[in-house]
Amino acid sequence: MQTTLTNGIADGQLTNAAKLANVSEDQFRMSNGVRVIDYQPTSRHAAPSNRYYLWLILPAVIVLACITLYPFFWLIWMSFHKVDVLKGDVWNNFANWRRLLGDRSFGNGWLLLLKYSAMCMLMEVGLGVLLAVILNRSKYEKVLVTLFLMPMMMAPVVAGLVWYYLYNSTFGWYHWLMQSAGILGEKSILGDTGTAMWGIVLVDVWQWTPLIILITLAGMKRVPRDQLEASMVDGAGEWRNFFQITLPNLYPFLLIAILLRFMDNFRFIDAILVLTGGGPANSTKILPTYLFDVSFQFFKLGRGAAIALTLLFVTIILGLILVKVFESPAGKVNQEGS
Amino acid sequence: MASVSIKNVWKYYGETAAVKDLNLEVLNGEFLCVLGPSGCGKSSSLRMLAGLEHISSGDIHFGDRRVNDLPPKERDIAMVFENYALYPHKTVFDNIGNALKLRKVDPNTIQQKVERAAEMLEIKHLLQRKPMELSGGQKQRVAIGRAIVREPELFLFDEPIAHLDAKLRAHMRGELKILQRKLGTTMVYVTHDQMEALSMADRVAVMHEGVLQQYGTPQEIYHKPVNAWVAGFVGEPPMNFLDCELVQENDAIQLKHSTFSVSLLPEQASIINSAKLERKVQLAIRPDEIHINGKQSAESIKAEVKITEPLGGDMLVDTTVGKEKVLVKTKPDFTASMGEECFLSFDKQRWHVFSSETGLAFF
Repeated sequence: MQTTLTNGIADGQLTNAAKLANVSEDQFRMSNGVRVIDYQPTSRHAAPSNRYYLWLILPAVIVLACITLYPFFWLIWMSFHKVDVLKGDVWNNFANWRRLLGDRSFGNGWLLLLKYSAMCMLMEVGLGVLLAVILNRSKYEKVLVTLFLMPMMMAPVVAGLVWYYLYNSTFGWYHWLMQSAGILGEKSILGDTGTAMWGIVLVDVWQWTPLIILITLAGMKRVPRDQLEASMVDGAGEWRNFFQITLPNLYPFLLIAILLRFMDNFRFIDAILVLTGGGPANSTKILPTYLFDVSFQFFKLGRGAAIALTLLFVTIILGLILVKVFESPAGKVNQEGS
Repeated sequence: MASVSIKNVWKYYGETAAVKDLNLEVLNGEFLCVLGPSGCGKSSSLRMLAGLEHISSGDIHFGDRRVNDLPPKERDIAMVFENYALYPHKTVFDNIGNALKLRKVDPNTIQQKVERAAEMLEIKHLLQRKPMELSGGQKQRVAIGRAIVREPELFLFDEPIAHLDAKLRAHMRGELKILQRKLGTTMVYVTHDQMEALSMADRVAVMHEGVLQQYGTPQEIYHKPVNAWVAGFVGEPPMNFLDCELVQENDAIQLKHSTFSVSLLPEQASIINSAKLERKVQLAIRPDEIHINGKQSAESIKAEVKITEPLGGDMLVDTTVGKEKVLVKTKPDFTASMGEECFLSFDKQRWHVFSSETGLAFF
C-alpha cells in the first residue's frame, strides 16, 4: 500500500483518478492511501483579511470623521434650524433657505464672486501663459521662475496687508504713482466703488499668476518638438505655431489650472477682509465675505450654514468637473507620438 | 523639383562637430539615402536641409537658390519625421491638408488634393479619424500624405519606417520607392538600416562620425567600399576581416596570414606595385564570396567549423582560421559537425584589401 501520493494533489485530479479506477472518491482515497491535505496558506506572506485593513485605517477614519464629517453634518443640521447657543437649536421650517431666495446681498454676493473670479482668471491665464512663453525661451528660466514664485509663498493675509499699505491713500506707493500719472484723480483705490474690485483682483493676480506660469511652463516642456517642427515645415510662423500646436497641447494643463483657481477663489476671503472688508458700499462683498458677515458678524449661524452649503455645492460640482477632465481623453497629454 | 548642393557644411553643437565638411550633390529627381549608425551626423544634416538646424558654416543650395538663412516654410520642402509628428487634435484630413490651408489654397482644391493623396496611400477611409485611432503603419502613411500633398521641391525623410514591424517595413520600402519614382521629386532619406538604403536609393551617402565616407550607387557602396569602415558597415552578415602582410614572392605578391598564404591576381598586384608596398593590410571578404569545401584544393585554406546556422535558403557556417573567426554563407545542403576540418577558397575577384594604417582600400 502506498502511503502518500502528494500533498498538493488537486481535488479534480483525485476525482478523475477515482473515476478511472471506477470506484468512489473515498474508496480511492482509502485504497490508495491518498492523503489530501486541506491546504490553507497561513504564512506571514499571505494576504491579510479585510478586517486587518479595517483596523489599520480606522484611526485615520476617526480623525477625518471628527474634523470633516461631523462638522459637515452639523452644518446641514444648522441650515435647517434657528441656531441659538443658549436656548438650543429650533427647527424653523426651511426659513434659512427661504430667506436666501429673496436675499439681495446673497444674489449680489454670487454675482460679485463670479465677476471677481472671471476677472482674476482672465488676467491670470493671459498673463501666466504670456510669461510662461517668455520664460520658456529665456536663458535665465530657472532663476526667473524662482523669483516669480515668491508671491505664492506668502500667506494671503500678509499679501493683503502689504497691498493695503501700497494702496493707502496717504502714504501708499501705488496710490502715489497712479495719482502722479493722473489716472486716479482725488479718489483712493480701495475707497471707490469703481476701483475697489480692481484693487482686490490685482492682489490675486499678483499672488496666483505664478501658479499658472508654473503649470503652463510644465505643459510647454511636454509639447512635442517634432510636432512644432512639422508645423514649421508645413509653413506656420511663430504665431500660427503657437495656436496650432502649443495651445492645443497646453489645453489640459490650462483647464486644470483654471479649475483649481476657481475652486480656490470660491473660498477666498483673507486678503479681502484685510483690504476692504467687502466695502465700499458692498462693491467687493463677494459671497465668502458676505458669509463671514452673516455668520460671524451678525451670528445668524443657521443662515450662514445655508449660504455655506450653496458654496460647497458649487465647489463640489467644479471638483467633479476637474476629475472628469483628468479622466477625459483631452486631459491625457500626448498619447500621440511614438 | 530641385537639385541639392551641399558645400563644405559644418555643424557644431558647442565644441563638438556633428557634421564635418560635408559635400554632396543630389541631382534633380534623385533618391538619396544618407546611411550611418546613430550619432553619425545624418539627422543633423537632414535638419540643416530642412532649416530646423542652423548651419555653422558652408552653403546649401536648392537649384540655384541659396537657402542657408531661409526658415523652413520658405524652403518649399516637406518632411516626414521619425515619430510621425502628427497633430493629435486634428483629423487625418486636417493633418494632411494643414500645409495647404496655411498657404491659403481654396477649400475645394484642398479637398481634391487631400483625397487624391489619401487614395494613393490607401487611407481614404481614415480621413475623418484622429491620429490616436490609427495603427503605426497608418500613422506613417498619414505622415507621408502630409508630405506629398504639398508637391514640394524636396522630400526629407527622417527614418520614417524605423518604428514599423519588420514585415511592414519591407513592404513600405517597395512602396516608397514606387511613390518617389511616380512623383519624380528629389528625395533625401536618412536611415541607419542598410537594407533600406541599398534597396531604395539611386545613390547612397555613408556617414560615420560626422564625416562622409563614401558617396555612390548602392552597387558601388556594396562592391567597391572605399575604406574598411564602409566595408564592415554595409552588408549583412558583415564582411570578414583577416590581418595579413603583403609579401613579394617571385613574380607574385602574396597575402601572408599567420596560417596561410594566397596570391593576388595580376591586376591586383599591379595596383599594389604602383602604390608603396605596404606590409600590414586587412583582407576583407564577404561571407557569400567564400566557398567552403570538405576537401583540399589549390590555394584553399584550412579552417575549423565552429557551428552551422541553417537559415532556410542559406546556411551560415562559423569557422575559425588560426585564431580568427570567418563567417561563410553557403548552400543549405552543406553538412559538417562541430570541430570538423574544412577548406575555404576565396573569390579573388571580389575580395578587398585595406591598408591597416589608414583603412583605405587598395581595391
